[in-house]
Amino acid sequence: MRLAFILSEIGSGLKRNLSMVVSVILVTFVSLTFVGAAGMLQLQINQMKGYWYDKVQVAIFLCGDGSTAAGCATGSATPEQQDNLRTLLESPAVAQYINDFQFESQDDAYKHFKEQFSNSPIVDSVTPDQLPASFRINMKDPEKYQIISETFSSQPGVETVIDQRQVLERLFSVMNAASLVAVIIAGVMIVCAILLIATTIRLSAFSRRRETGIMRLVGASKTVIQLPFILEGVIAAVIGAALASGTLWAVAHFFLGEYMSKQYPDTAFISPAQTLILAPALLALGATLAGISSLLTLRRYLRV
Amino acid sequence: MIRFENVTKVYDQTTRPALDSVNLEIDRGEFAFLVGASGSGKSTFLRLVLKEDRATSGAVYVAGQNVANISSWRVPRLRRGIGVVFQDFRLLPQKNVFANVAFAMQVIGKSRSIIRDTVPEVLKTVGLEGKEHRMPHELSGGEQQRVAIARAVVNRPGILLADEPTGNLDPTTSMGIMGVLDKINQNGTTVVMATHDDDIVNEMRKRVVELRNGIVIRDEARALYTSMIPVVGQSRRLKDASGRPDESATEPGDGSVTSSTGEAK
Repeated sequence: MRLAFILSEIGSGLKRNLSMVVSVILVTFVSLTFVGAAGMLQLQINQMKGYWYDKVQVAIFLCGDGSTAAGCATGSATPEQQDNLRTLLESPAVAQYINDFQFESQDDAYKHFKEQFSNSPIVDSVTPDQLPASFRINMKDPEKYQIISETFSSQPGVETVIDQRQVLERLFSVMNAASLVAVIIAGVMIVCAILLIATTIRLSAFSRRRETGIMRLVGASKTVIQLPFILEGVIAAVIGAALASGTLWAVAHFFLGEYMSKQYPDTAFISPAQTLILAPALLALGATLAGISSLLTLRRYLRV
Repeated sequence: MIRFENVTKVYDQTTRPALDSVNLEIDRGEFAFLVGASGSGKSTFLRLVLKEDRATSGAVYVAGQNVANISSWRVPRLRRGIGVVFQDFRLLPQKNVFANVAFAMQVIGKSRSIIRDTVPEVLKTVGLEGKEHRMPHELSGGEQQRVAIARAVVNRPGILLADEPTGNLDPTTSMGIMGVLDKINQNGTTVVMATHDDDIVNEMRKRVVELRNGIVIRDEARALYTSMIPVVGQSRRLKDASGRPDESATEPGDGSVTSSTGEAK
């Protein structure tokens, strides 16, 4: 009975304050979309880092079937060439610069490739023998990349030596800056949302002061009096958060999935499903913000 | 039922107290008028009973409990034991008569079936049977006040506070309202009514507590609106029972058990 009563109070409150409720929904929608955009950029950075990025700095790619580099005149790297490289890596001259190294076979490479590009159509057209085997090196000092590069580039069986960080770091710094901007905009919008929710709840409490006055007099508990107002704000904010989650999903699905992944088939993009892990966080954030701001407002404007 | 022990209420340090060392006891089942000019402290008295305000000093007991010791989350329980009626009715304009009365039960979580049984019964008590589905603007002032009274008593409070309930009504309608209040009082509810309406007080012949400038200057059983006794020595007079010039005035502490219905002329 009390629950039904509270629900009907919420309904009448939302109806009476419709324009304010719509503005709360829109403001939380926009602010949480920016929060979510920052989150998506970070997810995208993680996606592009792939399996090796945080573990190693330098990759020595071995010759494959179609390699055309100077060291690959003899075709695919032979087991002996692999052993020679391994010996060289373990030799004191090189070992002093590196922490450790791992060998990634063509099958391993295929496995990691499939994980990273799981959202891209390219994954179906790639077979293990198209991917080069490699040594992945974790440097003691990443700045010493040149030494490794010079030592191994000319070795037989080596196609190329790449410092993955140098390739991706610049892109990541741009993306990090973008997500910082998104967070700042989100912060300003969240302040707007909090103030707007507070104003809305104040208006709602004012327009229903007759009811709340009677409720106090007949001995309704604080919960019964305040909960409808708090839930009004929370419901509006949660609708906004749901819209924001939907927008992020749509961006991942239509923009990244349909458009960007065709324009840049060699880049790993996040999947729409991955953006959905942001949704619970956005919903919780929206509900918490609305709950706290309406609670504080009620403490000032609704005597119980 | 309601006991004031040396209660003083100061709203603003620079002005005189709204209530000044008031000692008063109203017993269970009693009917008392609170009279006095505007600003004499009648509303402050009612607010202190409801714990809308805190007494500056002294103790207010309601149903044996010192309201100062009731924690804020238990104040709703205190208020469930007290019904309140106002001069301006305070009905919800978009709800019909039944819903207005039912509202008081809904907000404290009464079940639908209890509400369905109780509301018509209470509406009958106040003389509104058959008008459940009228809206407040379709009712006369007297009928609206009856709805307000029904809402105040639907949860069977032990005390009914009425703050000038007949202030907006004509004399005939007012007498009808007084009949309702009297009936509720007969059923065992303590009624405290603040009023300016001398005709009603003179007609009812109940206990009269007169306040002036925050001080109780008269407390008589079966009294009239204006005292027949020349007032001397103001409130201190009441503390000294032996020095009281008239036997019809009752000591505040003895609860005025002599006041009852049926003696009205």
